Amino acid sequence: MSKVHVKICVGTTCFVMGASELQDLEKFLPDDLKDKVEISGAACLGLCRDENYGEAPFVTVDGEPLSNATVNAIVDKIREKL
Amino acid sequence: MNDNNTFIEIEYCQNVKNGEEACGDDYKTVELEDEERLITVLSDGLGSGIKASLLAHMTTSMAMNFVSKNMEIVKSSEIIMDSLPVCDERKISYATFTVVDVIHQNRVRIIEMDNPHFIHIRNGRDIAHENTVLASSNWPDRKLVVTDLRVKPEDRIVFFTDGVSQAGLGHRPYKFGWRREGCLEFIQECLHNHPEMSSRDLSRAIVSRARSINPGNRCIDDITCGVIYFRKPRRLRLLTGPPFKEMHDHDFAAKLVDFTGKTIICGGTTAQIISRELGREIKTNLFMKNKGLPPTSDIEGVDLVTEGILTLTEAARCLENDVPATEMAPAIRTMLNLLIESDIIEFIVGTKVNEAHQDPSLPVDLEIRRNIIKKLVHFLEKKYRKKTTIEYI
Repeated sequence: MSKVHVKICVGTTCFVMGASELQDLEKFLPDDLKDKVEISGAACLGLCRDENYGEAPFVTVDGEPLSNATVNAIVDKIREKL
Repeated sequence: MNDNNTFIEIEYCQNVKNGEEACGDDYKTVELEDEERLITVLSDGLGSGIKASLLAHMTTSMAMNFVSKNMEIVKSSEIIMDSLPVCDERKISYATFTVVDVIHQNRVRIIEMDNPHFIHIRNGRDIAHENTVLASSNWPDRKLVVTDLRVKPEDRIVFFTDGVSQAGLGHRPYKFGWRREGCLEFIQECLHNHPEMSSRDLSRAIVSRARSINPGNRCIDDITCGVIYFRKPRRLRLLTGPPFKEMHDHDFAAKLVDFTGKTIICGGTTAQIISRELGREIKTNLFMKNKGLPPTSDIEGVDLVTEGILTLTEAARCLENDVPATEMAPAIRTMLNLLIESDIIEFIVGTKVNEAHQDPSLPVDLEIRRNIIKKLVHFLEKKYRKKTTIEYI
């Protein structure tokens, strides 16, 4: 089964708005998701410059942008994708 | 300095005697741009601690003033010796000095009084020079040794206080201390293994070795070493910020191609533009611990890729406050190492403002990029004598 790919933006805006805590996402994933997710970083996803996407921090889950990202919101989105 | 000239890298490393707060050795460097002169002075005050520090500081200050104003050297040294306060315990006033006066990048005059004799290294060899010995009639024991020499690109001049040459004194195998010969051999070995070793690294290596020769790796005296390296300028180009107009993105990215020096990219968007324009993938080191700063990324052919404003602001803070490398975030340590090891630094600054950075709800104030770059340039020029240029795009 292919994994769900989570990309965390660590650009300036995202980082100061909370992405610094998302760097540890892997640790906070529920056990049943740990081997179903692949996490990587992005120098900048470029989403903060477009108001249509909402507010930082941004991640993408299988390419779908998620604004105001928190660990819980990311976990919910991952479950949606599975 | 233009591209064909030599960059003169002067760096010192100093370790204070164990148990003392103040260092009894002192050094000063002054650049007289109008005269194309660079003067550096090293002094070792009698004893250690505050008294020695005072003697050494007075000596470097006076020697620097006299030499830069071209005063007669015997007279100058008389004034220095007459002015130094007399030590209560030893009933004498005393401080050594070495003055290195570099004129027009290749003529050098070295004036020494009682410091270990300097070392001039060319192609791994210690070059011997004729010198003139002078003495004042008032102070016949204090001999001044004046050496005039010419240097070539890639030459180095190394000089130090007796904390280096007397390291290990009285302890096997250095019964008579490390001496100038021991230090010379060590320098030759370092340069054989690392022919492009910077003054900063060489001075640190010498001081660290001198210290390690002492029993218990202790500083039994103040240890100071200065190194002057006449080297071909090393270039670095730092790109930060998206160009004001997108139509310039390609030209901006092209600044990294065909550039032979080191390169740094600061900024997530900047990295994205370069990745897109050059077709090179960005890999972000998401799990890197970077002391509260965003992690670095990798782009093939680029020496360092960091986040922009936060990282640059922190780099400027560390430069301003001389923060020790051990206390720096890894990205800052790498960045400042690259900057300090370079001689000509070109900043290519994109001027487009990221509006998201101006959002008042952000938990931190983000400086305007141009202001941070100006700050960085200021410290690189004033503290490290780097030649810098800024191009806005």
